[in-house]
Amino acid sequence: MVTKAVVSVSVAASITSSKLLINPSHRFSCLKSLSSLNSFSASALAIKCRGLSNCTSIKSARTMEGFTTITRASAQPLQNADELIASVETFIFDCDGVIWKGDKLIDGVPETLDMLRSKGKRLVFVTNNSTKSRKQYGKKFETLGLNVSEEEIFASSFAAAAYLKSINFPKDKKVYVIGEDGILKELELAGFQYLGGPEDGGKKIELKPGFLMEHDHDVGAVVVGFDRYFNYYKVQYGTLCIRENPGCLFIATNRDAVTHLTDAQEWAGGGSMVGAICGSTQRDPLVVGKPSTFMMDYLSDKFGILKSQICMVGDRLDTDILFGQNGGCKTLLVLSGVTTLSMLESPSNSIQPDFYTNKISDFLAPKTATV
Amino acid sequence: MKQGLKLAMEATNSNPTSTAAAELLCGVNAKALLDSVDAFLFDCDGVIWKGDKLIDGTPETLEMLRSMGKKLIFVTNNSTKSRFQYANKFRSLGLSVSQDEIFSSSYAAAMYLKVNQFPLEKKVYVIGGEGIVQELQLSGFTALGGPEDGEKRAQWKSNCLFEHDKDVGAVVVGLDPDINYYKLQYGTICIRENPGCLFIATNRDSVGHMTDLQEWPGAGCMVGAICGSTERKPIVVGKPSTFMMDFLLQKFNLSTYRMCMVGDRLDTDILFGQNAGCKTLLVLSGVTTKSILDDPSNKIQPDYYTSKVSDFLNFLGE
Repeated sequence: MVTKAVVSVSVAASITSSKLLINPSHRFSCLKSLSSLNSFSASALAIKCRGLSNCTSIKSARTMEGFTTITRASAQPLQNADELIASVETFIFDCDGVIWKGDKLIDGVPETLDMLRSKGKRLVFVTNNSTKSRKQYGKKFETLGLNVSEEEIFASSFAAAAYLKSINFPKDKKVYVIGEDGILKELELAGFQYLGGPEDGGKKIELKPGFLMEHDHDVGAVVVGFDRYFNYYKVQYGTLCIRENPGCLFIATNRDAVTHLTDAQEWAGGGSMVGAICGSTQRDPLVVGKPSTFMMDYLSDKFGILKSQICMVGDRLDTDILFGQNGGCKTLLVLSGVTTLSMLESPSNSIQPDFYTNKISDFLAPKTATV
Repeated sequence: MKQGLKLAMEATNSNPTSTAAAELLCGVNAKALLDSVDAFLFDCDGVIWKGDKLIDGTPETLEMLRSMGKKLIFVTNNSTKSRFQYANKFRSLGLSVSQDEIFSSSYAAAMYLKVNQFPLEKKVYVIGGEGIVQELQLSGFTALGGPEDGEKRAQWKSNCLFEHDKDVGAVVVGLDPDINYYKLQYGTICIRENPGCLFIATNRDSVGHMTDLQEWPGAGCMVGAICGSTERKPIVVGKPSTFMMDFLLQKFNLSTYRMCMVGDRLDTDILFGQNAGCKTLLVLSGVTTKSILDDPSNKIQPDYYTSKVSDFLNFLGE
């Protein structure tokens, strides 16, 4: 029986998860390496953990979701893919660095997805990339020859709109967008009025005497995401709304520091635009994308699945893996994206997935995949 | 006379030394304040001017202080101009201030690199205005970026690499109304990929009076953006870091307790003054209102507060 430490913090605004301080001598009795998996519910695990009277000096971190985290055993190389596959009902895949890199499909992906489907697994795709809507992502999958429907795709652009819907954001209020087309499309689909977006990228301001920048006092939320058309006009507009419109929400699609826009290198990510607005408003945003569990809760609710029945597959420790851990799922890191084995094993890394492997097509290999 | 001042590497709200509530300036304490200081350090935006408009009564007040033998020094976090350009701005507004009396954060950035012996063969990428570029050049450094990169656009095609100069050894970030994705990306890649590349912030003010009618996002915005993409903290050279104080003290043979810092921001001007051991006077002609000062969440209390600099004229007339 595996007694695995459970449920971790969604540190929405920071990169590494905070750790509970467990009495060191009992640390390894609490955590066993996961060479075999049993499926049991996350809540059962939680009870097991709380019942461990040896867990002393537990410091709970206050976060958006209010969970607490425990240091984990090191990630195991994936040696028995069949066993992992059999133990879950749903696979959640990140996209950049897992399915594709830029516009290039990663080797073996179509066959892997087909195999999982043939075994009756539900496939869901959760990406922090907010530049496209679900529909637009559906088209990208299609162009790459993958059989994925838009209902299986959850981009952070969708998450922003879904969040506003979940809090009954009034339809007579407006949303100012510092971000790209994907966010606008999802807001429109959800029936919200929006301002801003790419076209404000062309607006210039002149800082001269007597000039006053007006802003719409009906803006009740500012949504900030990755924005290649970022400029001072948008920063000021968003800042004015947040500072001056009473109760105005500050929502971030995600805070990824860098993103793989092209397969060749890293690009400054949504974390940059969000950081800019944090700097001018001195406020922290509500984050709807990974590692926040908003999308996980939404999914499990929508599909009626237990989180313990899910395996999150991603290439980033501080978003994908933390997302999976925060949600109480199993986690598999692939090394086909931004994270290397040395980064995983570095002493400064505190996020350990359950498993790691080279790429998802390792699922196709019999038994042992050499990493 | 140099005091042992610690270089504050990050702008934080730690260690506010005064916890007693600020005193409203009046005839009696204004005279006492004037007797107890030999130099006044003035912030500029929201104290001397708002955008390009002088705040009423400022020229007369500065004249009066000079006639009383007080030294006047101007310490501004606004890095868009060099000291030389600021001297021109003062002149155009009818104020006689020499460049030696001005300590802008643009100058601070160049001085930081100088005192830390930044190699001249290395380059500096600037996310900021002409002021930073000019001060760097005056100190003999090679500056890339600045306002002209405001026109550049990044290209993202498969197999297309965003090029950056591998000789960039420091990225300096300040207020940049021409901020765009190209600059964010350039600065990010330098910091992440050039070994040992420094990340220097002129300041982290969240907003400021870039025009007379309203507040605008300050350098804190651009610095926040680069923090977000690099996951690194910057070295801050402007207020409340006391880095500039060493230069000030070298130039004017004074003790900091014989100085009064006059500013409109609690977390930069007043904290700077307190960190350095000066007396502090908050003016309400800029970004801070009385209710912000009085709010329970505010931990920074200046020694004195008043509505604007020219109140000195009224008090001394009493």
